[in-house]
Amino acid sequence: MSLDKNNKLQMTALTILRVLVGWHFLYEGIAKLMKDGWSAAGFLGQAKGAFAPIFHWIADTPAVLDIVNQMNIWGLIAIGLGLIMGAFTSIASIAGMMLILLYYVCNPPFTGLFYSLPSEGNYLIVNKNLVEFGALFVLAVTSSGKFLGLDLIISKLLKRK
Amino acid sequence: MSEEKKDQTPAKSGGGLDRRDFLQGLATAPVLGAFGLALGNQMHFDKKQKEKVQANQMEAADLPKTNVALLGAGSQGQVLMNAMLKLPYVNFVAVCDIWEEFNLIRATRTLKAYKHDVRSYTDYKEMLAKEKDNLDAVVVATPDFWHATHAIACLEAGLDVYCEKEMSNTLEGARSMVEAARRTGKKLQIGHQRRSHPRYRHCYDKIISEAEMLGRIVTVNGQWNRSVTPPLGYPKRAAMPKERLKKYGFESMEQFRNWRWYKGLGGGAIVDLGSHQIDIYSWFLQANPKAVMASGGNDYYPTDVCEWYDTVMVVYEYDTPKGPARAYYQTQTTNGSQGYYEKFMGDEGTLIISESEANNKGAVYRESTAPAWDQWVEKGYISAPKINTPGAEPDVVLDVRETATPDEHKIPVDFNDLYHRPHLDNFFQAVHGQAELNCPPEIGYETAVAVLKVNEAIKAQKRLEFKPEEFHV
Repeated sequence: MSLDKNNKLQMTALTILRVLVGWHFLYEGIAKLMKDGWSAAGFLGQAKGAFAPIFHWIADTPAVLDIVNQMNIWGLIAIGLGLIMGAFTSIASIAGMMLILLYYVCNPPFTGLFYSLPSEGNYLIVNKNLVEFGALFVLAVTSSGKFLGLDLIISKLLKRK
Repeated sequence: MSEEKKDQTPAKSGGGLDRRDFLQGLATAPVLGAFGLALGNQMHFDKKQKEKVQANQMEAADLPKTNVALLGAGSQGQVLMNAMLKLPYVNFVAVCDIWEEFNLIRATRTLKAYKHDVRSYTDYKEMLAKEKDNLDAVVVATPDFWHATHAIACLEAGLDVYCEKEMSNTLEGARSMVEAARRTGKKLQIGHQRRSHPRYRHCYDKIISEAEMLGRIVTVNGQWNRSVTPPLGYPKRAAMPKERLKKYGFESMEQFRNWRWYKGLGGGAIVDLGSHQIDIYSWFLQANPKAVMASGGNDYYPTDVCEWYDTVMVVYEYDTPKGPARAYYQTQTTNGSQGYYEKFMGDEGTLIISESEANNKGAVYRESTAPAWDQWVEKGYISAPKINTPGAEPDVVLDVRETATPDEHKIPVDFNDLYHRPHLDNFFQAVHGQAELNCPPEIGYETAVAVLKVNEAIKAQKRLEFKPEEFHV
């Protein structure tokens, strides 16, 4: 990939953004993995908004909840590793967007809705989940993985065949 | 990326991999190393925090086999027995209770089931005469008005004694116990078990004394709200004969079962419940009260069922080493909501604590103007703060005289064990010369002086003062 100076700076910035978001995903996954008996039940149980019944059903159905917990933990870890390493960046970013969208619609920061789990800021419709969603959208449509990341090697190997 | 200029030449077509590709492809890999390092640090920190907490939980001491008799096997005797069954060095030799039809049979059965070869007695004199050479210590859990007689008899038989609180229902009785302990040189531990509770010790040693997180404690507030219950009954076929009841100071089975509520036998709710917590007031304030005001009455139970006041409200005044302090205490027997706790408010923070794991377990709140507590969080004395966000508060503008709601820090000491176990363990360690008593008779006496005066103040309907010498024997 040959780039002019301006583009190089942009790609470096995107790489930094990718690594930061990746680090966050990875630790969110690992922290849940390390916490004995962690479950999304509390988060899902306080779901509000249009999709709340689905999330409540998940929280109240142990078999489903267990699968959701595992998928969430390992999804976060896989996406985190992918973003940090710049491997399959677009796929990882899109998967991350889907996961975050679920968090967002589960606990949307809409006027008049209150949650018992504390959040650390003040939000109106837009919260940090939505911001991270936007960041992942940028990462999904730019190929920073091919600039600094394993995608550079992966794409060349694929091209070679 | 200093090499980039030189590599500006277009990449070879055909997608061959060169060294530069690998460098660029793996450029972010070191981030994983940094992540691993940070994660390792975090895990180490979590583990250390956990260990600090566990260090505060008492494992039973490693003591030689200790031969013990239980004197009084009623409900409190059972509680202590269960705690001692979890102390591996305790060997029960004898158990004594006048209610042989019920308490004695039940305790003996339990102890035999746990492979303790115990002999049963209804009379403590007989037990002491026959067993004193086989015994190291006696645990006394008889009604308050028997404590002095029982404890002194055991001490004079050359045995160490753990005696339930209230030390005695009279100050003369309590004083004679202190004197007997001094005279015989035997250990006498009074059963204010919070004195050995890991969370209370943590709060006093670390939070109040070392870190001085509360600053100067100015007010104290505590309560024990207990649900109303009908008087205790008994199976008719297990009733004691009148003569035996009379021999041991009871008029009837009803009185025997509910001795805590009768004048001359117990001290009512303030002594039963309040004593535990008022003991903590003196401990944490490092002072005995100088005056007391109280109001109380039989607001719920009729006096023929409960002679003592079932509802009591007390205000104590203290001169602490750091300045004057006032303490409120209430105990009532109507509705158990909000349970029991003690709350200490200083100019730099508030501590709320209770023996219960379920309610008001323990937290400190930092006054926003107080010095930062970061180092205490780091040391594991308190948890990281739960920030009390203004989110759910009504939209009020804080007046200049108001300060924001303080952050809540939890006390990171869990104690999922029998409440009396550490205090008994401390007693047995002292018996073997491996520890000092956490509640020697002098302290039990001071608390008895402070607590028994409440009933006097209610009766007198005025503020009563303590002379400093009242607390000394």
